[in-house]
Amino acid sequence: MEILTGNELMSGATVYLDSAGTWVEELQKARVFGKSDLEAKEAAIAATKRTGRINSLEVETVTVKDGRIVPDRLREHIRATGPTAPVFDRQHLDEDGHVSI
Amino acid sequence: MAQTSPLKFAQSQPDHARAGAIMALNGMFDDMDALGVLRHAVTELLPADLAIVSSFGADSVVLLHIVAQVDRALPVYFLETGKHFVETLAYVETLKETLGLSNVVALRPDPRDIARFDPDGTLWETDPDSCCHIRKTEPLDATVSGFGGWVTGRKRFQTTERGVLPHFELTSDDRIKVNPLAYFSDADITTYKLKYGLPEHPLYNMGYKSIGCAPCTSVVAEGEDPRAGRWRGLNKKECGIHFDFNGAIAKPMAAQELNLYKDGKFIADPFRAWAEGDDPGSVRYTHIPLPVFLANREAVLANPHPVGLLVSPGDNVELVRDDLGRFASVAINFPGFTDGRGYSSARLIAERYGYQGELRAVGDVLADQVPLMARCGITTFLVRHEPTKKALADGKLATVDLFYQPVGKTEVPVGTRPFLRRAVEKV
Amino acid sequence: MYRYDEFDAAFVRERTQQFSDQVRRRLSGDMSEDQFRPLRLMNGLYLQLHAYMLRIAVPYGTVSSRQMRMLAHIARSYDRGYGHFTTRQNIQFNWPKLRDIPQILADLASVEMHAIQTSGNCIRNITTDQFAGAAADEIIDPRPVAEILRQWSSLHPEFSFLPRKFKIAMTGATTDRAAIRFHDIGLQATTNDLGEIGWQVWVGGGLGRTPMIGKLLSGYVAHEHLLAYLESTLRVYNRYGRRDNKYKARIKILVHEEGIESIREQVEAEFAEVKGGVLTLPQAELDRISAYFAAPQYELVNARSVDVAREKILNPFYGRWLERNLNAHRQPGYVSVTISLKPVGGAPGDATDTQMEVVADLAQRYSFDELRVTHEQNLVLPHVKVTDLPAIYEVLVKNGLADGNAGQITDIICCPGLDFCALANARSIPIAQELTRKFESPERQAEIGDLKIKISGCINACGHHHVGHIGILGVEKKGTELYQITVGGDATEKAAIGDILGHGFVAEEVPNAIERLVNTYIARRESPAEPFIAAYRRLGKEPFKEALYGAN
Repeated sequence: MEILTGNELMSGATVYLDSAGTWVEELQKARVFGKSDLEAKEAAIAATKRTGRINSLEVETVTVKDGRIVPDRLREHIRATGPTAPVFDRQHLDEDGHVSI
Repeated sequence: MAQTSPLKFAQSQPDHARAGAIMALNGMFDDMDALGVLRHAVTELLPADLAIVSSFGADSVVLLHIVAQVDRALPVYFLETGKHFVETLAYVETLKETLGLSNVVALRPDPRDIARFDPDGTLWETDPDSCCHIRKTEPLDATVSGFGGWVTGRKRFQTTERGVLPHFELTSDDRIKVNPLAYFSDADITTYKLKYGLPEHPLYNMGYKSIGCAPCTSVVAEGEDPRAGRWRGLNKKECGIHFDFNGAIAKPMAAQELNLYKDGKFIADPFRAWAEGDDPGSVRYTHIPLPVFLANREAVLANPHPVGLLVSPGDNVELVRDDLGRFASVAINFPGFTDGRGYSSARLIAERYGYQGELRAVGDVLADQVPLMARCGITTFLVRHEPTKKALADGKLATVDLFYQPVGKTEVPVGTRPFLRRAVEKV
Repeated sequence: MYRYDEFDAAFVRERTQQFSDQVRRRLSGDMSEDQFRPLRLMNGLYLQLHAYMLRIAVPYGTVSSRQMRMLAHIARSYDRGYGHFTTRQNIQFNWPKLRDIPQILADLASVEMHAIQTSGNCIRNITTDQFAGAAADEIIDPRPVAEILRQWSSLHPEFSFLPRKFKIAMTGATTDRAAIRFHDIGLQATTNDLGEIGWQVWVGGGLGRTPMIGKLLSGYVAHEHLLAYLESTLRVYNRYGRRDNKYKARIKILVHEEGIESIREQVEAEFAEVKGGVLTLPQAELDRISAYFAAPQYELVNARSVDVAREKILNPFYGRWLERNLNAHRQPGYVSVTISLKPVGGAPGDATDTQMEVVADLAQRYSFDELRVTHEQNLVLPHVKVTDLPAIYEVLVKNGLADGNAGQITDIICCPGLDFCALANARSIPIAQELTRKFESPERQAEIGDLKIKISGCINACGHHHVGHIGILGVEKKGTELYQITVGGDATEKAAIGDILGHGFVAEEVPNAIERLVNTYIARRESPAEPFIAAYRRLGKEPFKEALYGAN
């Protein structure tokens, strides 16, 4: 399974595409694309690119365990929560950082 | 009309001797000897194989007056597009009568084309290129094939892209174009008209300086380029008949947008890109890729037409150092803006080899690289990126005009340090 | 220090305005991210894992008190109260917002600083010996020439889109503290037969995926021809460097593939055309720039040695700090002081806004307003009177900056790694933290002596792992971070690339693996005077391989 993630233009904050087509901060709200959602995923990527507001757009593989989205890569865990050493909170979106497709 | 030419034009290979002979004619006549040029063409070069196309526009009377002095029976084709001002149609009759022209032939568009492509007569509005094509190019194509040469009323001054225009030209399909008025200026035309008391086009004094079909012609303001009134606002400059500089009569120049930034403004590009199958010995207004030039050096050097050189990343400009003077234009290709090899090529060509002609950037030419290119000696920019065009057109390029390096030939020293430079003027 | 004149100030101001316009066009949609990226990179703006990162140039590592205070201001106002000093003698901020960047650049411009060419495929910040102008072993202060190179390379129109980035390092001393053999071009001050000072030019050194030691391109280039020589070298690289593969685009690959003789031939041919032209550096200009770097008005004091042994008894912490963190100065009665940014359990190279201000105050009061950033991610007070050391130490202690560990096992170079960096494959800061905890004991560190550990979180080697006496490279294998250990690297004039001795270790095993290497060294060294790297050279790989992986 896959999610779409990227960094918002203004703040650079890590964001995820949710089911409503909005780019949000919370990994757990991310829309999970299954194998049969290929077209929807491609459409979402294309629509996102058209906004010009999400950089470093990536498809990340995840597994869903007990209803929670768990990224396969350590990198994504760190992106979701912030640096582990020294520990810092992740970057947050500003007022004007909300992007929808 | 389809007369057989006394010259055999159907050769597959360009005849360099012939090309050379034609080019040599250009030295035979005084710049302003339009009559001599036309007489030679009619009597010596292409007897009974020469025709003229006239728009019967504001300046047409001068050429037609010269024609009348040489041969009143010379075929004069007039494109009856169906879109002319009534004043133009009246003017045709006036000139036939005044000058005694006995062989004026109206060429009309194929009714089937009109029915198919322009049933309601508004094609000029939506697609002026296609409108010109069916009303001008197609009717002419059929006729032109019957003649070995054409007389045109083109003048060097008319538009920027006509900067170099000889009396005699050999086109890529081996026809001869005769341009008796090549060296005439706007003032020469006016003087000539006054001297012989020639009738003006009725619209001329109403402010129309270049007159074509009614829908696509507007009044030209005082001091404006006379042709600025044609296709005003339609981003189109040549109708595709006169020429695209590359051949005789060609397809409409769909790409004839004003993409070439030169001397502070955008103009149409007289050059076109090299295409597969082009012949380096006979192309004109084409940038010949450097490796093609090297492989065909003799042929290119013998090519009588204005040609350019295309320098791409990886090309060794050292190898053409001594031949650069042959080219009217050298294009530095930036296939992607992150490939910076072109900057070195440009500096070598402009600074070290002292190339004096037009040095232009083509390819991925973007606003933020234009200042760097300019510093490296590039003077002309073929721009396709719209925001870049806008920034250049508006003079709003964000630049740093102070330089820490002595680069190029135009920057001037400034400040106390020996290397410091600043721009002479904005790009 | 160099001071901007009107031209420099106007240049940076125009550049700042230009970038503001570029940001505006990006936000308006006139520019795509693909078009914007190279431009923002040329202004030091990256997009990392969590946020943007702004890298600010500290030309040849020299910074004034006023500038350091501005960096503190930026940390506090636009970031999260800290900055990270890098192995390129720069500083980077990890959390700025795009909209603030133009203002940050304007703030920097007000103190004669910028972020120009701290990234991108252009000539990067020119680095040098952190003790330049102070060191006792110096032939010439490299900073005037470094400043001239900075100017020449700033927004060079021909060299703004090179095949890849281009790093120049230089040293005027006999001991190489600037790792010049591991740069695209390394400049080493030297003298010719007439005794005139000029530059040896080394080319094609580098770390990363394919570590290479630089090769001698020219044995002597006079000051006046240096710009022409470098322009010639850069032109050869710009024209012929590979662009088909980003991993093979550095000049080291060109030198490697074509051979140093061929490159030298090409550079010399180009140099023959350029030499004696507009790039000739007049002596008057060199003199004028050199005047900015004239020695400060030292007090004439008697040479005074510090009785470290006595101080160690009185206050072991202070004594060890004296022993490790001072460097011999050319002026009698003065020393250069290294301020360690490597506290136990800290992130190497990080300093808080308060620490930056404290250090700025110290520099103003005790070091003629001047500070240095080292490529080993520490700070330096270059010109300190020996008699001022106790007062300085006291302030450092109060602000967590008094670690007396310079050059020791806990003075670790470390890249930001996977905690911040978009390129990284593994974390590196946690490894550094664990190692400093493991070797926390000052007595233990003293027993080990000089030992440089360098950690990178990916093959790009920002943490210089190839040239660590012990190098640690983080890689990712099947979702797990693994750490490859190399031994025997050396960044100095005895340049060497570390040897890989075997398979990698998971993070938890790394501290013990390092300890086994250290114990082997201690057991096998000739005497405590034989440092780790010398012992490794003498003993060879085998004992260390056995330490890591056991006997066969």
